[in-house]
Amino acid sequence: MSAAAVPPLLDRRLVFVLGKGGAGKTTVSAAMGLHAAARGLKTLVIEVASQHRMTEMFGVRAAEERHRDVEVELAPGLWTISIDPEHATEEYLATQLKVRPVVEMLTRSRAFTNFAQAAPGLAELVTLGKTWSLAVALKPGSSTPVWDRLIVDLPATGHGIALLETAQNIEELAGGGPIKDQAERIRQVVSHPGATGIAVVARPEELSVTEGLEAVRSLRDNGLPVASAVLNGMSPARFEAGDEPALSALAASEHGPVATAARLSLRQIEGSRHDQAQLGRLRDESGLPVTILPQLVRRNMGTAGLEMLAAEFGAPA
Amino acid sequence: MIPRLADRRMVVCCGAGGVGKTTLSAAIGLGLARKGSRVAVVTIDPARRLATALGMADLSDEPQRVDHPAVGAGELWALQLDAKATFDRLVARHAPDEAARERIIHNRIYRHLSGAVAGSQEYMAVERLHELVDEGSYDRIVLDTPPAQNALDFLDAPQRITRFIEGKALRLLVRPGLSGAGAGWRVLHLGSSTILSILERVTGGQMLRDVSEFLAGFDGMYQGFADRAQAVRAMLASPESAFVVISAPGSAPLRQAMALGDRLQADGLPLVGAVLNRVHPLPPGGAPGPRPLLEALVAAGAADPADLASRMARTVADEQVIALRDLDAHEALRAALPDLPLTTVPALDDEPADIGGLAAVADALEA
Repeated sequence: MSAAAVPPLLDRRLVFVLGKGGAGKTTVSAAMGLHAAARGLKTLVIEVASQHRMTEMFGVRAAEERHRDVEVELAPGLWTISIDPEHATEEYLATQLKVRPVVEMLTRSRAFTNFAQAAPGLAELVTLGKTWSLAVALKPGSSTPVWDRLIVDLPATGHGIALLETAQNIEELAGGGPIKDQAERIRQVVSHPGATGIAVVARPEELSVTEGLEAVRSLRDNGLPVASAVLNGMSPARFEAGDEPALSALAASEHGPVATAARLSLRQIEGSRHDQAQLGRLRDESGLPVTILPQLVRRNMGTAGLEMLAAEFGAPA
Repeated sequence: MIPRLADRRMVVCCGAGGVGKTTLSAAIGLGLARKGSRVAVVTIDPARRLATALGMADLSDEPQRVDHPAVGAGELWALQLDAKATFDRLVARHAPDEAARERIIHNRIYRHLSGAVAGSQEYMAVERLHELVDEGSYDRIVLDTPPAQNALDFLDAPQRITRFIEGKALRLLVRPGLSGAGAGWRVLHLGSSTILSILERVTGGQMLRDVSEFLAGFDGMYQGFADRAQAVRAMLASPESAFVVISAPGSAPLRQAMALGDRLQADGLPLVGAVLNRVHPLPPGGAPGPRPLLEALVAAGAADPADLASRMARTVADEQVIALRDLDAHEALRAALPDLPLTTVPALDDEPADIGGLAAVADALEA
């Protein structure tokens, strides 16, 4: 499918954010969410495995946070939910079985809990299933979706890909029956390039970009809709090549703070070149549009920092 | 950090993803090897990071020797965890016969469980550590831990998977009165109990049949698995082991490091220290005065000295902010784990690309 035939990342309703541990997936999810909300879209950022990092980032300590799996408002038009697999399993069983006492009998059984915690792919399936049900939920009595945009902050690359592929795997594994049907419905949404887009996040570091590129290949091989890449933490191009002779002279001849400033500036030039090279690799080898997020020099990220990053998603890629 | 590992046979490096665990594990391995030990480093790494740093094109599941003068008096061996191969060997070890082994290896649930499923990597990492200890060819083994959503998952995975294999869950559902393994328990008779028929409504018959065949395959092997999980646990808790918690500045990795530290101490596991990686030092001497800087630039023949001076000043100011942020992180970690020795490793421009770069990290870990 050509790039022109599918909508840009943030025009898709369901966005998955994937990347190596430490690449900044949570920060990127929050910034994308702020950007979408600022465009007037009611946006939900979904965290998996009960991380509750989004409320922490926005300094929200809402009373509702004590409840599991409840949407919490972070900023005007921006909400978050943290999916707890255990609770999602109960919810899933409730919708499948429809008889409340039967569900309670199952979920209160220690034997069942042990089984559910380790059953291959069950936690992943219910997490993805919950995401899917949020994505397809309609406002009561209307055909308008509850959420205009849903952004999923995935676990680190390996587990994140496993989560995205879980519907396909379960479909194959289950043979037939309700789980297979459910997995098929989920898979159809998750792999639809008109509805869903995956953003791969990397830092401008050799290994982070390599892992991102490997993820892009693996997702494409599995027919999953990779839409965009994000390079997070790019150093600014502050100096020019013409500055180097003077900086080198100062670094060599001066002492104390002047020499230190010259050495740090030379290192900044090196760093900026290095980051440009990683940007080139990411862009050329993935063929994806790349959103560049600048390195934020702040003692704390804070919501002001997030808003600065959010603005970058409005800039042309 | 490295001197505190002097008498430890097993070193487990844990922490959030992206803090540099793999690199630090390799550096710890190198540091111990330099002192004359024969060291194996087990890495869990889909991006093959360690391979790059060690200048090895390909890391296999079997230890390969790192041949480099920087290793000094000892020996450094490195391997890449292959969770599936390790699981297959575990099954082969406990299977009563070839037919039983084949039944399990080819079961669809097993193939899924041993490959992608979260938890099996964590379990197999410790299993591989145990294999290497049993093998007895190494003085010390350093274990990098898998990139979990939550660094604590690593401690719980063996029990979770053992419980699943034990199949007590389904056994209870099928025949509540049945006791012990191997008592003629075979393929589940679907529909024979209420709960099972409920479960079937959710999963479909095929999946339950696969699960029951899988569990039947393990029938009679469970004790072996349980004993092994017990032995692994005992090994990790012994004073021959050492846990090192690794973090980097940043609220998420710090929070995980603190939780991990608390949990290891609460579980009575031998936590010996924490490492804060990628710390930026404050620029020595502070920011240059505007006048000396300008004068020096004029003397050096800069084209637009005032403009260049302001960009240099901004660069120093940025460096100061980052250094303060890292100091905050250091203080927070020290306050959260007050009795734990804390080592800092300075930030590098990128991960070490060769063994020389790794040796510099090992030097920082000597502190």
